[in-house]
Amino acid sequence: MLDSAVVATKKMFFREAIAKAVREEMALNDRIMVMGQDVGSFGGSYREFDGLFGEFGAERVRDMPVAENASIGIGAGAAAAGYRPLVTITYMDFLMLGFDPLINYAAKLRYKTAGGLTAPLVVKTTAGAQGQGVAHSQCIEAWLMSVPGLTVVAPSTPADAYGLMKTALRADGPVVYIDHKRLFPAPGEVPVLESLVPFGLAAVRRAGTDVTITAHSFMVRMALEAAETLESEGISCEVIDLRSLAPLDMPAIAQSVARTGALVTLEEGQLTSGVGAEVAARLFETTGHRRWARVGALPAPVSSNPVLEAACVPDARRVAEAVHKLLAR
Amino acid sequence: MIYQLLVPAAVPGVEEIRVLEWHGEPGTAFAPGDLIVELETHKAVVEARAGQAGILRDIKAAPGDWCQIGTPLALFSDSADEAMPDGAVVSRDLVIEFDVI
Repeated sequence: MLDSAVVATKKMFFREAIAKAVREEMALNDRIMVMGQDVGSFGGSYREFDGLFGEFGAERVRDMPVAENASIGIGAGAAAAGYRPLVTITYMDFLMLGFDPLINYAAKLRYKTAGGLTAPLVVKTTAGAQGQGVAHSQCIEAWLMSVPGLTVVAPSTPADAYGLMKTALRADGPVVYIDHKRLFPAPGEVPVLESLVPFGLAAVRRAGTDVTITAHSFMVRMALEAAETLESEGISCEVIDLRSLAPLDMPAIAQSVARTGALVTLEEGQLTSGVGAEVAARLFETTGHRRWARVGALPAPVSSNPVLEAACVPDARRVAEAVHKLLAR
Repeated sequence: MIYQLLVPAAVPGVEEIRVLEWHGEPGTAFAPGDLIVELETHKAVVEARAGQAGILRDIKAAPGDWCQIGTPLALFSDSADEAMPDGAVVSRDLVIEFDVI
């Protein structure tokens, strides 16, 4: 069941995997353009567009002012007019400024025009806590999951960043693609030859028999760390990387929980109306109730004080504690 | 005396770096402050400079190679004709300074 690489791979930084995907897709489709703060000669806030400005020029790699609403609005309009804009919003917190064009226009365009128009817009943003305080740390992906017409993906590995970004740049409707600041330092193996990761397909990162842990983005690492600790205590965890939040791969989750009989949902964002609540509700609608615990941020802003930040967001220890408590029920 | 150059923990959160470029080859003499090697992280280039005089004897990681923090990149000696250790662990670390740019 474990996903294993059977293709030739090359080790690269997370940002290089993103650049590879965007470069390949831009070469294939001249309607794709990149728009955002510092995407031009600077190469992207995280250098994830390094080299693209030189290769594709200022018309297709456009620096935008600090104006998130306008950037996404222009992107939505360009998408409706037949382009495929990739708009970057450096911090997910500031995606809020672009909700109107993203949610009221881009996500509803196909419905509003009875299929006459689509908005093939990709909004790439970065979530997560890393010492930057209340308005640069949030994970608000669960808000987006409730918008009909919006696709939401969040990779945890460079390979998935590559594969999901490629799929996003070929998608018909608006896609929000979410990175995490804490994923950037670690490199990973990425397919050398072109390959895509389809939307709506979770990945089993670790097979186990006692409990299923679902997570996405950086929290997959916390889940795997907790699973490692728990194994030494005789508890076998299955870790599912959701990868795609809308659509969710409910069959993969259901199959796993059918075997383990227990579910821990893990997210860095808030628990109320969160990803975990949605995963559990949808699962129990079809299976009836199963043992379930959810782990997420405390109901507080993420502080720039490192002690308070660490207290707020989940870590492997809290995941392991939740598993212990759940299995003791 | 033989010294080893280790990958410095230059950027918080980084566990692994990629060798970008060496500024010398076996036999090159380095004075304090000389640039030895450039290392790449996810967002910065780390310049490792000699913090002591030494002669580069053996490079253990080529440009493009990935190295964990704390692993050896190269061996140095005080003089050019010193015998190199035969697979034994080098206990002395080369003093370096590094800039993150």
